[in-house]
Amino acid sequence: MSALNQTAAVIVTFNRSAKLMKVLDALAQQTMRPDVILVVDNASTDDTATLVEARARQDGTIRHLRLPKNVGGAGGFHAGMKAAYQMGAHYLWVSDDDAYPQPDAIEKLHDALVGFESSTGWRPSFACSRVEWIDGSLCEMNCPRPVWDWARFVRPQTAWALVDSCSFVSAMIPRWAVREHGLPIADYFIWFDDAEYTRRIARSYPGIFVPESVVIHDTPDNRGVNFGLIDEKSLWKFKYGARNETSFRRREAGLISVLAYTYGVRQQMKSAEVPSSLRRQIYGAIMKGLKFRPVIERV
Amino acid sequence: MSFLASTKPVDSATAAYLTDQIDQARAIYETLFPTQHLRFTFSAGHDPVWSHPAVYEGPHVPRPSDLGPDYLGSVERPGTSPSAPEVTVQLSIPRQPNPAELKHTEAPWHPMRKLSRLFRASPLIYEHVRYRAEMMRKRQADQRDDKNAMPLNPGSPLISSASAPDSDRRPAILVGMHWLEVGGAEKLGFDTVRWALQAGLRVFVVASVPSLQRLADRLPDHPDVTFIRLDRYLPHHLWPRYVEKLALAENIRLVHIHHCVPLYESLPLLRVRLPWIGTIDSTHIIEYANGGYPRTSGVWSSYLDVQHVISQELVNYFCGTFRISADKVLLGRMLDRDTGADATPDLRLKLGQKTLHVTFIGRLHYQKRPVVVVETLRALQAWATKNDVAFSATMVGDGAFEAAVTRLLRRYGLGSAVTRLPGNTDVPALLQRSDLLLLPSNNEGLALVCYEAITHGCIPISTRVGAQSELLPDDLLVPLAPHASVKATVAVVDRMWRDGGFLERQKTLLARAWARLAADPTAEEALMPIYCKAAGTTPKKD
Repeated sequence: MSALNQTAAVIVTFNRSAKLMKVLDALAQQTMRPDVILVVDNASTDDTATLVEARARQDGTIRHLRLPKNVGGAGGFHAGMKAAYQMGAHYLWVSDDDAYPQPDAIEKLHDALVGFESSTGWRPSFACSRVEWIDGSLCEMNCPRPVWDWARFVRPQTAWALVDSCSFVSAMIPRWAVREHGLPIADYFIWFDDAEYTRRIARSYPGIFVPESVVIHDTPDNRGVNFGLIDEKSLWKFKYGARNETSFRRREAGLISVLAYTYGVRQQMKSAEVPSSLRRQIYGAIMKGLKFRPVIERV
Repeated sequence: MSFLASTKPVDSATAAYLTDQIDQARAIYETLFPTQHLRFTFSAGHDPVWSHPAVYEGPHVPRPSDLGPDYLGSVERPGTSPSAPEVTVQLSIPRQPNPAELKHTEAPWHPMRKLSRLFRASPLIYEHVRYRAEMMRKRQADQRDDKNAMPLNPGSPLISSASAPDSDRRPAILVGMHWLEVGGAEKLGFDTVRWALQAGLRVFVVASVPSLQRLADRLPDHPDVTFIRLDRYLPHHLWPRYVEKLALAENIRLVHIHHCVPLYESLPLLRVRLPWIGTIDSTHIIEYANGGYPRTSGVWSSYLDVQHVISQELVNYFCGTFRISADKVLLGRMLDRDTGADATPDLRLKLGQKTLHVTFIGRLHYQKRPVVVVETLRALQAWATKNDVAFSATMVGDGAFEAAVTRLLRRYGLGSAVTRLPGNTDVPALLQRSDLLLLPSNNEGLALVCYEAITHGCIPISTRVGAQSELLPDDLLVPLAPHASVKATVAVVDRMWRDGGFLERQKTLLARAWARLAADPTAEEALMPIYCKAAGTTPKKD
């Protein structure tokens, strides 16, 4: 039912004030504007706080939620979604500080959630946009994962494929999903928090991919997540990713799934000839993941 | 054009649904509190069946929790005078059910956790443990002294009792059902609605158990039939007051209870304030744990004018256990003369035939013991293989045991021999091509499906429970204990297949029992005169 449509946007940011301002510009131009825009500031050290507070004085929908320390993307989304839920939002639109939604992106997501439910009777657990890179190509890291019967309700006018996982780049989550499944895991810090969360809420019913809702992801390059791409600079993120996904797989599918995952990671690193010193650190992260059992916080 | 999300207009489907639900809820409370100043607070519910009503009589100050994220709005209905007392009604409008909720009434069944290994090792031993536990509960229940009718003193003739006010409305009946879902008692409930309509009564239907009421669309589409969603919007403690107001407003002359507990609880009020209203109930099956609805009916018997039952077993139960006068207990079989209740059944099974089709029809719920059904089918298939008989079977029904039955059939390699069909299958057509009907239930009244089976030439084999012995000869009744039930079923099938004399004897005895039952009045014949009397009409003579 969509009798109540209060929508909160949750944007997590860290030291990217220029891009964040462009995101806020894009939100101001939305055909369906969020009632509240929660800028979750991961203790940025640049001019983010000043700029956001100045904006908030002009635009009453903006709230600056400054966290005392950088808790990573996962911690930021956890805090932002918790605040949005407590503020009574019926829909939570979550996105990054470098993703610019097209003017009708949020309205299209909302229309798709409502339209899907009224035409099929099922309540999608989330709706996610088509995420494009700055050149208009598909953004590699933000491709949602379809379920086996993804085409079940796809029609020429409503090409909404069923998906069970997406990134927190322009995803709309209804309040009931948060109430039933809780919040993203803050302890993940970074990487895989969005995949874990959307897979968790998709247990009720899968989400939908809404291609007519488009967002531009302004990343430095357009690369997917592949352990063959590890270098010294990105190693820290991959370690979080390996630990988090291992922990998730252990929880959901047991040791066999972890072994399969480890084998896949090994193959990727081997074929890309990742230095053994880096590989060892990834294996170490996988080992940590076996014991890492973060608590899921309910609302 | 740009707008804030919260100001987006509500889509038309949601708006229509909410408006309809709000209207239904308002109508209930406006009947219950006709003069009071009503303040409704509506919120969006998370539950598809129940509105979690809260009713405050007297001033009520809204709290922040009343106006949370799910708050939809408030509506006022002024009282008939400025000093009318206030009543605040808070309701969560149930959300619309999703397709899975529409399909399944219950969560899938799983064996008890502590005994799940036992179930995996031997489903039949698991069933045996459950059977023993149930029999133990029955023994304990039998020892309890709770089978006494509550006395009802008619009062002194010095004080005259109330009499019916004049009404310009045609007489009406209130039919209280357990719920509008699949079931034998529910089938009778639907039939009584039809009969009451034919008798000329206006019909109000209520259900006591919140549910999706999936069969509500089977109620006659007639302006004189109204289904009031008390099950969704009214707490049970307010039912008696509502029934009083409805009865006065709608000229209700008869209340017919089909397993509807809050209507039983309305009986004292009816007896004191509206004594002209006739009260009937219908009961079907004596349950092991506490007697179930027949015990409830027995306890309330002084408050009932007529107790309609479907079997002689229940007549004996009421007259014996509750010492109820025989003229108050009305036997009306669940037979339909239009569908062959009078015809002598032509039973199909032949001596030494080379094919055998066995059917099970029933909700996949513990009462029907679907696990025992599968075990019996397994044993029958083994018997058929040994005797070079082509065996096939059909299981009809939905319910909590669906997944467990599928797994068991697969495990026993019965997937290809056993066809599964949903509950809305064409049962007569299926029975027409079946040789045997299995009914290894843990309890039954007098199973309607046995009547249907015989009508269509199919021989039923049932456990010796309830009033099944009124219809089935001794040899077609098998023991209740799971192992013995499976073994005895195979033995009786084997004997009918080999022994011509035995088979003919069963057919003869079935035909005799059938004729005996057909000589009893049907439920329609028993109830129609009561309905017609309330309506002030004459029963039709065929």
